[in-house]
Amino acid sequence: MLLRSLTAQTPSRIPLLRPFSTGSGWRTCKNFLSDSPARRPRLYPVGTARHCSSDSDMATKHLDDSHERIFENNRKWVEAMKAEDPEFFVKLGSGQSPEYLYIGCSDSRVPANQIMGLGPGEVFTTRNIANLVPNTDLSVMSVINYAVRHLKVKHIVVCGHYGCGGVKSAMISADLGLLNPWLRNIRDVYRLHEDELDSIPEPQRYDRLVELNVIEQCRNVIKTAAVQQSYEKEGFPVVHGWVFDLNDGLLKDLKVDFEKMLKGIKKLYNLSAAPPTAEEPSASEPLAKRQREE
Amino acid sequence: MSSNGERGRRAELCGSDEHPHPRPHHKQQSRPEANAIAIPTAENDQFAYALSSNEAWAGYKNHQNPTFFPKLAAGQSPSILWLGCSDSRVPETTLLGLQPGDVFVHRNIANVISPTDINSSAVIEYAVAHLKVSHIVLCGHTCCGGAAAALGDSRVGGVLDTWLTPLKAIRRDHAEELAAIKDAGDRAIRLAELNVEKGVQNLLANYVVEEHIRTRNIKVHGVVYDIASGKIRDLRVGNASVMPGAGKEMAAPSKMEVLQGNHGVLIFKEGGSAMTVG
Repeated sequence: MLLRSLTAQTPSRIPLLRPFSTGSGWRTCKNFLSDSPARRPRLYPVGTARHCSSDSDMATKHLDDSHERIFENNRKWVEAMKAEDPEFFVKLGSGQSPEYLYIGCSDSRVPANQIMGLGPGEVFTTRNIANLVPNTDLSVMSVINYAVRHLKVKHIVVCGHYGCGGVKSAMISADLGLLNPWLRNIRDVYRLHEDELDSIPEPQRYDRLVELNVIEQCRNVIKTAAVQQSYEKEGFPVVHGWVFDLNDGLLKDLKVDFEKMLKGIKKLYNLSAAPPTAEEPSASEPLAKRQREE
Repeated sequence: MSSNGERGRRAELCGSDEHPHPRPHHKQQSRPEANAIAIPTAENDQFAYALSSNEAWAGYKNHQNPTFFPKLAAGQSPSILWLGCSDSRVPETTLLGLQPGDVFVHRNIANVISPTDINSSAVIEYAVAHLKVSHIVLCGHTCCGGAAAALGDSRVGGVLDTWLTPLKAIRRDHAEELAAIKDAGDRAIRLAELNVEKGVQNLLANYVVEEHIRTRNIKVHGVVYDIASGKIRDLRVGNASVMPGAGKEMAAPSKMEVLQGNHGVLIFKEGGSAMTVG
């Protein structure tokens, strides 16, 4: 698998990220390794560019240096893609059908596409502080709804990362104003696993809290009606929990047992019945009736 | 938003052969038998592909620069906060040509910035007040499903209608202008632009953003990304084209804005065009 990824991709997978960045598209590894540095757009070393006398000086310098090469790369890429599939850009412009929904942290060090090695069009993404899925947050609930019901994604990934600033901030005994209500979700995760976490020394305790937070957010994803109904009907999406390690760039699969988790959740959070149609009585009526009978 | 015309028809292409991107050999998951474990394990599965992709990427980055990950682990100091759409075709680091560590990111459906949305508000607060970013880029895009849905008249369903209410409100505010645009795609682009403009206004009115514009002169940019060409267009609706404190347009010769990441640069040029450098 890995070997195939590195060397023997179907040719059409190779150039996706090529023109945009020298370092972001691992998928172009083969090309990178065979590229002479001179062929790549030159990067200004960190620090030097910031010391240019003004932004416009720097911009002019930058444009002079890199403008042509970048557009040349872009033109080549367009030609390569079109040679394989004349309709490539027409299709890209006409719609998306990603296989993945990625729910991750806003942290700048964890760019979804790069760490997964996937190109434009392949991952529907939402990112927020500490990759949370609070059940009353309409933003993330809308994302899940759209991804599952309309895009029909096959996999939902909740991805946390060690050294998460949000998770650390949440455990500080301080009033953080607007961040309080958001970060409180993490304190709730701690409370759910208090005994286990209390028994672990710092800093490992934070690493475990990051993992448990991912697992709890997976639970929250599975609690949604969209996921339960789609899985019952179609057999997807499957929910996964990952943690990204900044120290080596590797993803750790927490091996969330989706089936088991789903079964456990349905005991209390079963929303898999379809919503009542217009002809049927209102949603509250059967419940009221049932309660009367009880 | 499958109930909305052209966009809906496109969304329904999911899983069909008409996919814009080639994929790893994906085996369609069939409905699992009772008690069967649904976690895909086949080596040709999408999921396994992403994980092995990651391994290859990490190995390559480490080979290229052994201090890359240790440095990353030491902390982040991004200069850009990116507020964009969840759409899979708009991956920010790819289209900005930037690297891990450069850009703090929030993405939601149709890049809506509502003043009372706790999710985006928390991101903005954290990025501006704690990480002290210098630039906020709000990015809309062409072919946006959210914009198309807001231009339709049928219910999308679930929580989505509520989420898209700000777009509906913009549609009502600009009903005449939008109705005059014949092409549905162009109309959606115009709504996406107006949505960015509104979002930028909300950002400029945000207490933390206001305070940091005053004290640190941070810049708010509103842009639209054209999916079919890969280019970013600066709508010049933020405070970036205004001289600090002067309240007027910058002098003509320096009408150029540079966003400096740690590894790459984004340049806004006069005439609304922009380019990315990796």
